[in-house]
Amino acid sequence: MMTLAIDIGGLVYRYGRTEAVDGLSLRVEPGRCYGFFGRNGAGKTTTIKCLLRLLRPQSGRVRVFGLDPERDEVAVKSKLTYVPDHVAFYPWMTVRGTLDYLASFRAHWNDEIERALVAQFRLPLDRRTSHLSKGQKTQLALVAAICPEPDLLVLDEPTSGLDPIVRREFIETVIGAYQEGAPGRRTVFVSTHLIAEFEGLIDQFTIIDQGRDVLTLEADAARERFQRIYARFAGDAPAVELPGAHGVRRRGRELEVVVHEGTASVVDRVKALSPEALSVEALSLEEIFTSALSAREPAA
Amino acid sequence: MRFHVNFKSGKPVYLQVVDQVRAAAASGALRAGEALPSIRPLAEELRVNRNTVAKAYGELESQGVIEAVPGKGCFVRDGDSPLRKDARLRLLTDGIDEAVVSAHHLQIDKSEFLRLASHRFDGFAGRRARADGREKT
Repeated sequence: MMTLAIDIGGLVYRYGRTEAVDGLSLRVEPGRCYGFFGRNGAGKTTTIKCLLRLLRPQSGRVRVFGLDPERDEVAVKSKLTYVPDHVAFYPWMTVRGTLDYLASFRAHWNDEIERALVAQFRLPLDRRTSHLSKGQKTQLALVAAICPEPDLLVLDEPTSGLDPIVRREFIETVIGAYQEGAPGRRTVFVSTHLIAEFEGLIDQFTIIDQGRDVLTLEADAARERFQRIYARFAGDAPAVELPGAHGVRRRGRELEVVVHEGTASVVDRVKALSPEALSVEALSLEEIFTSALSAREPAA
Repeated sequence: MRFHVNFKSGKPVYLQVVDQVRAAAASGALRAGEALPSIRPLAEELRVNRNTVAKAYGELESQGVIEAVPGKGCFVRDGDSPLRKDARLRLLTDGIDEAVVSAHHLQIDKSEFLRLASHRFDGFAGRRARADGREKT
């Protein structure tokens, strides 16, 4: 059996009496780009900190490539790199000095990738890290995370400090550069609430809410299941019972329905009402996220 | 050739790439022996994960549309399918059945259907022939 890159089962972490993570389970196969989506405060960062042994969970199982971070902390940490949501460096060190310092902890460091990414981000090597912008610090952290070429790259809100142009570059190059070296082996685990930017990049995702896994799906399968049906009628849109429909909206002659699965049967029902126009489109991952979470809210 | 993906279509992204390569090879936009873009640049251009492109190329290879040459890349095959004729006909039947069902629901009768099929077939063959002609001159 293939060893999972990440295997979390029944994870619980409480801050005092608040349950930040409340029985979360997820499994990440190696070589995937795995999205971990949740609102602020959903438990994403706490989960990641349990994975890295920066926090000790009260209960549950955490395995990284089959290893227990509690027993094999060094082995686990040598297999992964981590970019936290707030990065910090020694302020007196230059960019060059920081990269050399971080490289000294690693058995392997790819100088070629370092040169390529430093040039692409136009990072000033002789500048002190205290004089870098927030975006540049994030870029430096990303370069430092890619160069050791670990089996697992853990990113916590990696694009939040970056401007839109750099974000695009990040998505197009950093993950590509990382996975290119050993496709099928290098795993990315990325937590974010800026989901639209990762639309094409994510193979599979878990949505976390209030510390629990709400939905885990392949991105392609999610787009096949979560769809929007749009119909226009000759007269006012009929008020009709549509089982399985979420977020039904009527505006004059128009009817818009979101389905979480079973698009075909809802389409058949709408067709039976003889609309003059009918179309179906997949929701984006961001819309799937919003729709899946709003379905959890108790009906007002 | 230029690829494009549409996340709103609800069709798996890798299948969109597969279908575009198949269509390009059928219309002469890609010729036998021509190289496909390598995985990483295409993934970056489409803003998709390299796994998606790798899966598409894997599928195309298993369908016999392209051939992977280790260390060189992926190339369009010359069209000699390894499958026997009856197996190839069987594979085509599914797609035709789908079109026949659509024709029924759109009230297109047999003669119109056959005329359109013939017209589309000639269209692809013509484009392919023109592409071959350009290659030779």
